[in-house]
Amino acid sequence: MKVHFKLYRYDEAKKEEPPHYQDVEVDVPEHSTVLDALHQIKDDVDGSLSFRRSCRSAICGSCAMNINGTVGLACKTQCSSTMEEAGDGTTVRVSPMPNFDVMKDLVVHMDPFWEKYSRLKPWLQPAEPDESFERERRVSPEDMHKLVAVANCVMCATCYSLCPVVSVDPSFAGPAAISYAYRFIEDVRDAKRNERLAQINDDYLWLCAHCYACSYCPKHVDPQDHIAATRRSTIEAGMTNSRGARHALVVAETIKKTGMLAETEVIQGTVGRFNIKGLLKVAPLGIRMALKGKLPPPFLKPVPQVDEIRQVFDTMEAPVR
Amino acid sequence: MSTIALDTTATSKSTQMRKYGFFPGCVAKESCKELYNSTLILAEKLGIELVELKAASCCGASVLNDTHRDVARVLNARTYAQAEEMGLDDVVTICSTCTGHMRAANKEMLEDQHLMDGANAVLAKFGKKYNGTVRVRHLLWVLIDDIGLDKLAAMVVNPLRGLKVAPFYGCHIIRPEEVNGWESARNPHSLEDLIEAIGGEAVDYAGKTRCCGFHIQLEKDGVAANMVGQNMRMAKDEGAEAVLTPCPLCHLALDGYQQDAAQRWGRTDLPIFHLPQLVALALGVPHEKLGIAKHLIDPTKVLFQREIAV
Repeated sequence: MKVHFKLYRYDEAKKEEPPHYQDVEVDVPEHSTVLDALHQIKDDVDGSLSFRRSCRSAICGSCAMNINGTVGLACKTQCSSTMEEAGDGTTVRVSPMPNFDVMKDLVVHMDPFWEKYSRLKPWLQPAEPDESFERERRVSPEDMHKLVAVANCVMCATCYSLCPVVSVDPSFAGPAAISYAYRFIEDVRDAKRNERLAQINDDYLWLCAHCYACSYCPKHVDPQDHIAATRRSTIEAGMTNSRGARHALVVAETIKKTGMLAETEVIQGTVGRFNIKGLLKVAPLGIRMALKGKLPPPFLKPVPQVDEIRQVFDTMEAPVR
Repeated sequence: MSTIALDTTATSKSTQMRKYGFFPGCVAKESCKELYNSTLILAEKLGIELVELKAASCCGASVLNDTHRDVARVLNARTYAQAEEMGLDDVVTICSTCTGHMRAANKEMLEDQHLMDGANAVLAKFGKKYNGTVRVRHLLWVLIDDIGLDKLAAMVVNPLRGLKVAPFYGCHIIRPEEVNGWESARNPHSLEDLIEAIGGEAVDYAGKTRCCGFHIQLEKDGVAANMVGQNMRMAKDEGAEAVLTPCPLCHLALDGYQQDAAQRWGRTDLPIFHLPQLVALALGVPHEKLGIAKHLIDPTKVLFQREIAV
């Protein structure tokens, strides 16, 4: 099978040379993965091509890269399928993961990703020191079940590189770090639950935009579910003094009251009804919308049978989780 | 690969005044009333009947998952029970977020009897029951699957004359793929097909499946505006003259924040059309009827320039 590769080439040691794409034709076996083909190119065509790789079986997480415009593991992506789905049928274009600085060719500086991960103190911190234990710490299957998805994470940073929030605001922890925070927050053996919640809350837990780009995780870790669960845990722990938490709470409040998400109340409630400075900041857009007759109504009439909606909340509200 | 079948049997069905449950969602009834109105105008033009589920609640808008995940699911079950009572198993949405979250709730209950029973135990308190027959579809999917692009193209009286339109999918109509699955989440092309069918030229750009930032517009100053700027810059650089979105939340963010984003991303000033507005326009509805004047970035300029305004 003939494949036309377009390979991103750049070397930060030679900054004066701008990045460019190198065209390479290779003849690969029919079911070759992108990683197989890259190996073949490095062996037979151009030994100077750099890329990270190790296990070739989606366990080490080294070979995440941008393949035909979408990030994934090169060892888990077949040339034929990506050419058919995203290319022109003959081309595989590979470039380094977005949201990272490039070191050389397909190799990026992973430091921001590791920095955000290590900030979480990603190790078990039990109440008693390890030495005092003579027996293993038992965990029930139910408690273990919550942690299984995160255990599949191979830290390939696919989610981080696809995160649109990280792309404009690198202070956001990113999906993988929040999944790992969740993994220790939910671990019954860990004694630092509140400290961990407070820290991830400060690392802009609420900046996730619910875009589900992290649902492209090649290992199906699905960080979006851990982000929502961690948000519920912070609220449960009383950490409600952030715009994100206030926003979520006022949305729930207006749905319970009217059946609808009442936009005007949500904006006021999120920014803070008495936060004059904050309200002034959102005012210009509000005024522009008002001038066009596009402002949401200040109060909403409840939908018919709103008492049923309130009953759903009242029945189920007790535990937030 | 996604398959968008131009199924002739589906096309013939529409001649019998097909009836749908209609879930407009909150934003189309609040700050984007022009979307609500133009949807009804388009439905009339297409000869389909949209019966509004008036007692429905908010879908949860993804935010309710952050406080009341189970409540969000049961509220949607309540909406589906209403649709079943009215004999309207086919529920049409006009918002990407509604589509994704209503479908997710439905999928959870259909795949897990325990969750379905749990929801019905709550609904039973006020005499409702969800039997699991509802399917939630976006208007975009109805246009393509039930009306058919061939038929739609044949109905066009005011083609877009090659107007360069950038599709903006928004997130929840495509992701997660397991929830939506109607077309490829990574490489969707339904909006492009629709744009071409009504005489426009679809602009390809990397931002079309990225997030508009709507859900975090109040969380931290400037972040959502930057996301808008980044995406609109890409569209503009590829030659876009306008943007088409199936989601009113995307519309609000893209229409509202391009001005704030200009400082970092340069002026883009792309008018943002709601899906039914542009289709109705091509089918000959005068632009004055479609609420286009309510948009912050005036779309009439480009419509007159390209002699599309009628």
